[in-house]
Amino acid sequence: MLSRDEVLKIARLAKLSLTEKEIEFYQQRLGRILTYVEELNALATADTSVVRTIPKDAVAFREDRPIPFGDVRELLKNAPASEADSFLLPQVME
Amino acid sequence: MDFNRLEILDLLEGYQRKEFSPSEVAQSLLTSIEKKDGEIRSFLQVRPDVTLDAARAIEKRSSEIQKLPLYGVPIAIKDNILVTGWQATAASKILKNYVAPFTAMCVERLESAGALILGKTNLDEFAMGSSTENSGVAPTRNPWKTDRVPGGSSGGSAAAVAAGFAPASLGTDTGGSIRQPASLCGLVGVKPTYGRVSRFGLIAFASSLDQAGPLTRSVWDAARVLECMAGYGGKDATVSRSVVPKYTENLNESAFGTVRNLRVGICTSWLEGVDPEVRTAFEAAVEKLKELGMRPVEVELPNVKYALSTYYLVATSEASSNLARFDGVHYGYRTPNPKDLDDLYCRSRGEGFGPEVKLRIMLGTYALSAGYYDAYYGKANQVRRLIQQDFEAAFEKCDVIASPTSPTTAFKIGEKVSDPLTMYLSDIFTLPANLAGIPGISVPVGVDSAKLPIGMQLMGRHFDESTLFQVAYCYERRRGALANAPWRGSKSGAGA
Amino acid sequence: MKNPLEKYEVVIGLEVHAQLLTKSKMFSEAPNQFGANPNEMIGPVCSGQPGSLPIINQTAIDLGVRAGVALHCKIHEESVFARKHYFYPDLPKGYQISQYERPYCTGGYVEFALKDGSVRKINLVRIHFEEDAGKSTHASHGTLVDLNRAGVPLIEIVSEPEMRSSEEAGQYLRKLRSILRYANICDGNMEQGNFRCDANVSIRLHGAKEFGTRVELKNINSFRYVEKAIDYEVSRQADALEQGEKIRQETRGWNAVKGVTEIMREKEMAHDYRYFPDPDLPPLVISPQLIQKITTEMPELPDAKRIRFIEEYQLSEYNADVLTNSQELADFYERVAKGSGNAKSAANWVMNELLGRLNAVGKEIDDTPVSAENLALLVKNVDSDKISGKIAKTVFDEMFASGKSPDAIIAEKGLVQISDPAALEAVVKKIIEASPSEVAGYKSGKTKLLGFFVGQVMKETKGQANPGLVNDLVKKHLDG
Repeated sequence: MLSRDEVLKIARLAKLSLTEKEIEFYQQRLGRILTYVEELNALATADTSVVRTIPKDAVAFREDRPIPFGDVRELLKNAPASEADSFLLPQVME
Repeated sequence: MDFNRLEILDLLEGYQRKEFSPSEVAQSLLTSIEKKDGEIRSFLQVRPDVTLDAARAIEKRSSEIQKLPLYGVPIAIKDNILVTGWQATAASKILKNYVAPFTAMCVERLESAGALILGKTNLDEFAMGSSTENSGVAPTRNPWKTDRVPGGSSGGSAAAVAAGFAPASLGTDTGGSIRQPASLCGLVGVKPTYGRVSRFGLIAFASSLDQAGPLTRSVWDAARVLECMAGYGGKDATVSRSVVPKYTENLNESAFGTVRNLRVGICTSWLEGVDPEVRTAFEAAVEKLKELGMRPVEVELPNVKYALSTYYLVATSEASSNLARFDGVHYGYRTPNPKDLDDLYCRSRGEGFGPEVKLRIMLGTYALSAGYYDAYYGKANQVRRLIQQDFEAAFEKCDVIASPTSPTTAFKIGEKVSDPLTMYLSDIFTLPANLAGIPGISVPVGVDSAKLPIGMQLMGRHFDESTLFQVAYCYERRRGALANAPWRGSKSGAGA
Repeated sequence: MKNPLEKYEVVIGLEVHAQLLTKSKMFSEAPNQFGANPNEMIGPVCSGQPGSLPIINQTAIDLGVRAGVALHCKIHEESVFARKHYFYPDLPKGYQISQYERPYCTGGYVEFALKDGSVRKINLVRIHFEEDAGKSTHASHGTLVDLNRAGVPLIEIVSEPEMRSSEEAGQYLRKLRSILRYANICDGNMEQGNFRCDANVSIRLHGAKEFGTRVELKNINSFRYVEKAIDYEVSRQADALEQGEKIRQETRGWNAVKGVTEIMREKEMAHDYRYFPDPDLPPLVISPQLIQKITTEMPELPDAKRIRFIEEYQLSEYNADVLTNSQELADFYERVAKGSGNAKSAANWVMNELLGRLNAVGKEIDDTPVSAENLALLVKNVDSDKISGKIAKTVFDEMFASGKSPDAIIAEKGLVQISDPAALEAVVKKIIEASPSEVAGYKSGKTKLLGFFVGQVMKETKGQANPGLVNDLVKKHLDG
């Protein structure tokens, strides 16, 4: 069981608003999972090599050639609010 | 004509012989969906006009049929994969009205091969789940028995194919989300090697684990879809440059020769706790592999018992990062009337994400946070390396590793939601392949006494899908047809 | 406090963000272009769409390696891209792709001269790659977000806290900027925001071993402001300490209008960026072959040019440093030096006359009304005695105002120096005859009166007489 403060701290970092019920719910659930994963501490891993997940023949580079996106307005269409081709936020910033 | 039961191979042959056309097939399937998906709820979006337009367009290219390996084949796409003009919601309220501005590389390749987009299918929200009960829309029902889950997270994709609405669908697999629903719905499901298929256009869950792959009713079909969708494409830095083999080329009589004398690894200790009927069916399947000439070999996978813990730290950490972009600013749900910027963020995300997603975001945030990184994310990655090493060692002794795909058959809707770990344990056999990056295929082996499907999983070396397909193909031929499959119009199924 | 530096030592470290001169962005093919309409230069990746993935711009890496070579860094064969998480409207993914524990460069240094001629060497901690964020503009009814700048390639250059004065900070920046411009890595334009500087400033008593609490200064967007902001901050901190207050570790923004630093409205909580290696990108490999290639292709950099200027043109350290500050200025100077054959004089004219005037009207050497060829001609004219040094200044003023050549101006205004002995003798004789009492005075020992006669001759000739020659002639005629 995680403390209420710990859950609120994580929620703040993750920018998630939680209701009172949710706080209790996550205290329980997170606590349960964190207890379960403690089993990893028993394993000796000091000498393990670094995990690599990407195939060796993957090439991560591209040529420096600009390719404009077809219609940038498509990227604005999904915005909750926009104005004059900018994304618009309500009056929330100082 | 009943197109619901046709496999891709059947469709291609029919088109070739001009027995029917892509628009006929597409129309028939769309009608089927309209009439029967109300109960199953496999689809989140269909656009019949768009699909039929595409069908008519492909018909104009009928002279090129030889060059279009998926000519006129309708495919359903999981709704966490982007297709221009179609919704991409990840079954989440936070992306409710999102319309994709570009198409995923793997889908683009399918379209280049002549495939038709049939619709977007349901999933556990952001692919987080093993039953599709976490969908922010509604749960999907298993066409074999509609009081059962289809598995998850690609439950919609599995149900659509199992119900006969589509001959094939795309799912994504991060911890088993293609293979497990395939198993629970009596289908073939493939998770390719990590880096075989481009992730460009997949709404990311866990970047080092996610792979898109096919769900189909036959091994040949899955091979055909994978050989078309895989490959580099230039938009993903984690994809192999190697040429994608034509997997279907070996799926014929020659496969039997290749398969004979291959060694199949079994990790007996791993099988503890499996449902007894599943165990029996698995053992019978292994007998069939022996009949094919394969030699069973006992292998050790000493660290797979830590796969669940490892996965739940690695995947959630990466997910917490990948989901940081859903903040109500540039797209997606924004909370009305926020009082300040922090409120806009917290309430948009708090209101937009479902409980399982929030749980995983918080777990991942915790695992990456200052002071906890080494003990959680750092440690989990070290154990991941141990698991990778286990498989490297095992593949010295064998060529494929076999296990049941899921410890149980399809459970009832609502049965496992109360305890997170019970649900997570559904993935016990599938998680290791994602952690090790190796390919895995689930093939149906039969049904249990409740007539629910059981699947066998085969895992192979990196980029050795070829061997997996050949073994699976030979096994499938040896097994024969699956009884009571709902796509053939059985009593409880939707295809009729 | 009147003179804080008497009691306190200033410790300054600088972090510079320099945009790389690529055509497309760091991790995507969207164009890297300044000044476009809002959101004209975006794509799926830099706008953080779901399903988008980063791919590394090869040229950005090449330019970064060039910077590492030019700044004498250790360039690591393997480095790692890491995600830095925070929420802000101009950061669409909710994280920035940067480098954390394993940057591509560590070490390195920047050398530069100060006005007093001394040479300083400031060591670097590291350089790493990262992507830029977009821009938010506040309006009355809300905030507008433009993502054109999001994803532009940056290198962040972090110095050791070894600077001890605002002058050093200013010179360090000028030198760094000049190196980056010489090597075509970055445009170095602070006003346009492609070269940005944050300063970490603390003070401590002379001789103290521990550093004082440091304050981060942001929002410094011109070279002028760097020194002003630091000076202000130093006196603010000194005043505070003198009054027994503690310095708070905080971020302050420079307010150019008020000429002060002010606390920035940021969250008081320290950021937990939750860095981890980006799983979408493999480790960045920079091969020795690449480093070799970039080293051989490197243009002559300011330090090399500076050393060459000192040797070839016999310039002082400081002058050489100033004249190699920019490629354009160095080229200009060399054309004047070579064209006139008088490097020293060329240096004087460029530094003392031309640069001052350009500065006063806010112009750069690129916009000089006086061409290098014309300035070289001017120097030659003085050296050949066609005009005197004094007249040359007048000619120069006219050159600056009109852009005309010196010869044209001299001709127009009839300013040719009179060096014809016969012509001058006539005038000398005339003056001597007209000033008998001064002649008598001179002959009786008041040798200073020589100046009187020379002055009169100059006046008579409207300053155009060759003064040296006049001097000799007067002496000759007086001494008999």
